[in-house]
Amino acid sequence: MKRAALLQVLQATLVTAIILWSLGPIIVGLLTSFSTETDVRSVPPIWVPPNPSLTAYQELFQGTGAASTIGGTTTQEGAFGRSVWNSVTLTTVSTIGILLVAICAAYAFTRLRFNGNKVFYWALLATMIIPVFTIVVTLFQLMASAHLIDTTVGISLVLIATQTPLATWQFHNQLRDLSPEPEQAALIDGCTRWQAFVRVVIPQMSSGIAAVSAILMLAVWGEFLIPLLLTSTLRSKPVTVLITEFIGKYTTNYPLLAAAGIIALLPPAIVVLVLNRRIRGMLSGAS
Amino acid sequence: MRSIVLEEVVKVFPGGVIAVRDLSFEVADGEFVVMVGPSGCGKSTTLRMVAGLDEVTSGRIWINGRDVTNLPPRYRDIAMVFQNYALYAHMTVRDNMGFGLKMAKVPTAELDARVSEAAKVLDIVELLQRKPKQLSGGQRQRVAMGRALVRQPAAFLMDEPLSNLDAKLRVEMRGEITSLQRRIGTPSLYVTHDQTEAMTMGDRVAVLRDGVLEQLGTPTELYEMPANDFVASFIGSPAMNFLPGRLRLDADRQVVDLGPWEIGLSRRVLERKPGLAGFNGRAITVGIRPEDFGDGNLGAGQDVVTLPVTVLRSESSGSDVMAYVERGHPDGREKFAKPDNKSIIPIIARLDRRAHWSKGLAAWLSVDPDRLYFFDPETGLSV
Repeated sequence: MKRAALLQVLQATLVTAIILWSLGPIIVGLLTSFSTETDVRSVPPIWVPPNPSLTAYQELFQGTGAASTIGGTTTQEGAFGRSVWNSVTLTTVSTIGILLVAICAAYAFTRLRFNGNKVFYWALLATMIIPVFTIVVTLFQLMASAHLIDTTVGISLVLIATQTPLATWQFHNQLRDLSPEPEQAALIDGCTRWQAFVRVVIPQMSSGIAAVSAILMLAVWGEFLIPLLLTSTLRSKPVTVLITEFIGKYTTNYPLLAAAGIIALLPPAIVVLVLNRRIRGMLSGAS
Repeated sequence: MRSIVLEEVVKVFPGGVIAVRDLSFEVADGEFVVMVGPSGCGKSTTLRMVAGLDEVTSGRIWINGRDVTNLPPRYRDIAMVFQNYALYAHMTVRDNMGFGLKMAKVPTAELDARVSEAAKVLDIVELLQRKPKQLSGGQRQRVAMGRALVRQPAAFLMDEPLSNLDAKLRVEMRGEITSLQRRIGTPSLYVTHDQTEAMTMGDRVAVLRDGVLEQLGTPTELYEMPANDFVASFIGSPAMNFLPGRLRLDADRQVVDLGPWEIGLSRRVLERKPGLAGFNGRAITVGIRPEDFGDGNLGAGQDVVTLPVTVLRSESSGSDVMAYVERGHPDGREKFAKPDNKSIIPIIARLDRRAHWSKGLAAWLSVDPDRLYFFDPETGLSV
């Protein structure tokens, strides 16, 4: 009895520690975003702002004007909103693109017999082990020659190429466990292969597609290196890249930085909350 | 005339494995043909070729008098019931059943009417709004049947549709499927590995082995006149006993010598099997069905010979007793030392439930020599 109680206490402590560890930075960020620059710079530090203000959020969308100190944080009106919009379009376009390619590829690899099936599949998976860092120079040259620098389409194409193998692998596993019989029944029931794929196979994969989409959206939203490399203006710069520019040369407006971080966190948080059950289902092996 | 015709159909898989060799047969209008054989015999492959799910390497397939060999499944006018039912998990029972008609652009009113009618026939009206996940195995089976039924196709194909059901339900569905098929008269090709299913359901049964059609005939023909020892052993449960023997047809004595046993053959037997004369003095394989044995201890009737056996073990199933015996009595065992009978051949006999045969018992089996089957030991062909 006593041991069980002790175990429970230990468990609760551990869970609390993990939650604090995960939520700590977010809480600090949230508190900072409501602070003033003076609160943040004070010694000893003031954790909870005595007079919470929305100045940082206001500045984020309306611009800071000229920085108070040279080399400090500046942002223009509409810049942040634009970058969030860029991130949303980038995530949507890339995720849809990856799903289209990966589902079709996985279907072909699992269901169609063609020469080199296995070779292509493993070659595709093998590309996952190539670190992006090793190809940045050639990638930049390639995109520049295709006039795709600083375009959402350009970044999307690269993200589709880099994320498709993982998604294909996931769908391949899912399709392999899926009985081919309903699809064959559909062929007999009057479907072409494409119709059977769309009307019978894809609906059967729906929970897997939802889960993989969620994972892809999180991955694309948080993508940093490729957008940093391929964007130069607000035309296509996503929020992850813009935020880094809030770090000034000499001083940084921390409340502004924190506010940007908090807003950038919202879309992925919503995705996870909405698709939480599907993701859990897939991670625990249900289809 | 609705029919399915296979004409010298061959299937070679990539890698050179020959799954089906020169298969030819016809399923006539109204006929129910069952393909049976051990796993890997090519029966499912054959069915899939008829369905258009597998390509034919050579040969032709005709459905309803139309050459469908190179047509995709959707143009073949067939319906198929799969082993795992293959229901569309995301659709209701109604949508599952109506899917084929919807693809064929049948007007909604007619579609609904046909689905409702099929549901009534199969007694699944109350399930129409459910999803497959909410159904039991038996109900899913019915839905799969219903989906085939509403199509009113030129031919039904069924791939072991009962193998996932429990024994009681299987027997029940067997009867339902056959009576349904008799009623609508659509030519049907049915695949199973269960010979009981084949024998009880089929108008005719096709026995396949290694992609070759060993015999095609009515259940009675297969049982009473098996073409070879494979068909003889495959049809009937438990399987037929095979004994190596030697035929001696002298003027005064016509016997088949089976080592410890010697069975006299009446003139009637020899007249009915004229081929036996050619085996005089030669080795021959004798087949005896377990159910053709009787309990010889109860005394022998007319035309029946009694044979000495020693009981190895016996199992009672309630309705009858399965006795595993070896030939000869314990005191006469030296007979087993004969060169051609080095190993003991256990024999299975199905006896009346009153037979209380315990291990080690020296007993007698009776058999009517008229019920013996003879096979050429070299070719396996029936004599």
